[in-house]
Amino acid sequence: MSQLTFETINTTVLDTLTRPGKAYWGIIALLFCGAIMGASCWAYQIFVGVGVAGMNTPVHWGTYLINFVFWVGIAHSGTLISAILFLFRAGWRNPIARAAETMTVFAVCIAGLFPFIHLGRAWLVFYMLPLPNQRTLWPNFQSPLIFDVIAISTYLTVSSLFWYTGLLPDLAIIRDRSRGVRKKIFQVLSLGWSGKTGQWMNYSRAYLLFAGLATPLVISVHSVVSWDFALSVIPGWHTTIFAPYFVAGAIHSGLAMVLTLSIPLRKIFKYEALITMNVLESIAKTIVFTGIIVGFSYATELFIAWYSHNSIEMETFWWRAFGHYAPEYWIMVVCNTVIPLLYLFKKIRTHVIPLFIISIFVNIGMWFERFVIIAGSVAHDFLPNAWGHYRPTWVEGGIMVGAFCLFFFLFLLFVKHLPSVSMTEMKEMVHHQVE
Amino acid sequence: MNTDAIIVTGLYNTQEETLAAVEKIQEKGFEVAEVHSPIPSDALAQALGRKKSKIGWFTLIGGIIGFFSGFSLAVFTSTRWDLIVSGKPIISWIPFFVIAFEFTILFAVLGNVLGIVTQVGLLDPDYEKNYDPECSGSMYGIEVASTPEDADSLRDLLDHTGSIKKQRETK
Repeated sequence: MSQLTFETINTTVLDTLTRPGKAYWGIIALLFCGAIMGASCWAYQIFVGVGVAGMNTPVHWGTYLINFVFWVGIAHSGTLISAILFLFRAGWRNPIARAAETMTVFAVCIAGLFPFIHLGRAWLVFYMLPLPNQRTLWPNFQSPLIFDVIAISTYLTVSSLFWYTGLLPDLAIIRDRSRGVRKKIFQVLSLGWSGKTGQWMNYSRAYLLFAGLATPLVISVHSVVSWDFALSVIPGWHTTIFAPYFVAGAIHSGLAMVLTLSIPLRKIFKYEALITMNVLESIAKTIVFTGIIVGFSYATELFIAWYSHNSIEMETFWWRAFGHYAPEYWIMVVCNTVIPLLYLFKKIRTHVIPLFIISIFVNIGMWFERFVIIAGSVAHDFLPNAWGHYRPTWVEGGIMVGAFCLFFFLFLLFVKHLPSVSMTEMKEMVHHQVE
Repeated sequence: MNTDAIIVTGLYNTQEETLAAVEKIQEKGFEVAEVHSPIPSDALAQALGRKKSKIGWFTLIGGIIGFFSGFSLAVFTSTRWDLIVSGKPIISWIPFFVIAFEFTILFAVLGNVLGIVTQVGLLDPDYEKNYDPECSGSMYGIEVASTPEDADSLRDLLDHTGSIKKQRETK
């Protein structure tokens, strides 16, 4: 880090914005096709009806809601890294904060798509919005589903504004080093930023307030998402642990996704001097911490089911571990709590390949966690005659693959058109180290 | 600032050089109109005697408006259809507090953004007037105001303080 100067930071980051090669366009084209395939599946569902999805009595919430919760979770780590670690003055956040914030914005957008898809008749989504109409029918603000609408739209607005505000000084750097149309575009985007002392003073204050506001928001949004479940009476859902459990799981999956994105980013753009092994190691250590919290939550759920002497709760958790969805349950437990413990070994957490592979396992585990929670409880609730199973259909699979493709497509577009590492924050870090 | 004044901008490599230069320039009786820097600096803000940011007020006012808007919206809409749902009272404090909380954050952030736009001086069409593009990358630029008669001594002073180059001079 000590060899870095302001100029080397500029050069390293701005070099990533040069004209991309054929491989880049090839991957972009492939991901675009994937996203179109997902959109086609959705179009098919709209045309034929929501019956083409695998959801049926008793499981009315399937992969659409699983993916919704999964992507909201992925989004959370961006705010954790950019806001919470900013407030704690954790220096290792700086090189990855921009990528994490971008991940947040795209992940929230994708999460927001799934309730639309799940609705079936997506054009009636405005029923969820507090709009006056002639019959004075308003949304029921006592319902956690309406909390969701308000929370997710607030989160999308706040994280987008936070991301854009953080970009302003960097946009000015690109503006000052471009010509022609590109300069004009960045002139508009940078809003006349000129780095005056007064500008910096107000900007720093505003950024701190942004971080201060984003922190309770991030906690509240996933708590609200968890209340979609916890405020119902379904066994396995109706529990007070859900809010902290969901928040910890969100951070766990988000950090894993940050690793999944940062490691190739670091290799492809030669960011080794900026995203150092120390940064990756710090993420890995935090994943061990969140993995332990998630493991503790799994154990607490089982303990409470046993300690409550509630036969239905006990049956639900027994069935989760040894019933129809047992493979999914054990994938969840192993990937989220056992595999991340490998990061306790310094040799593993200081090598990019094991770091990357374990991060993929955590992502898989977290997806299955959402599956087990969402499909597992309603598939096996109070009465045996209401028990049933759920398996996603090809339409749901196609939409899910399309969503992943769309996420990586947007992220790849971002890394070639905007600075994927915050030059300003890196310079501040270097400046303070020199001091 | 004197309307006949000209502005001479000196560029410096480090914050320490810039701070020392600002002090020296002020000692000699010149007015430092502005400093451009690639990173934020409390020391520079102090040296220039900048007042505390007012953005916090925008945020606070936004938050207060948001809290009451969210709560009022929930209460108003519930009273439009007086039907007890799931045994909860028409005006349910705890669920409505969740809405009020989200609105508080949303409006506080919008207030913060309004503060940025108005207080940070964004959207300035003349931002390039005394601005050197090097200042966004790695250099610090000090804009000094001077009368046309004192311009030569100002240029000498900037040379003595280690200024790398003098930027365009504007009236």
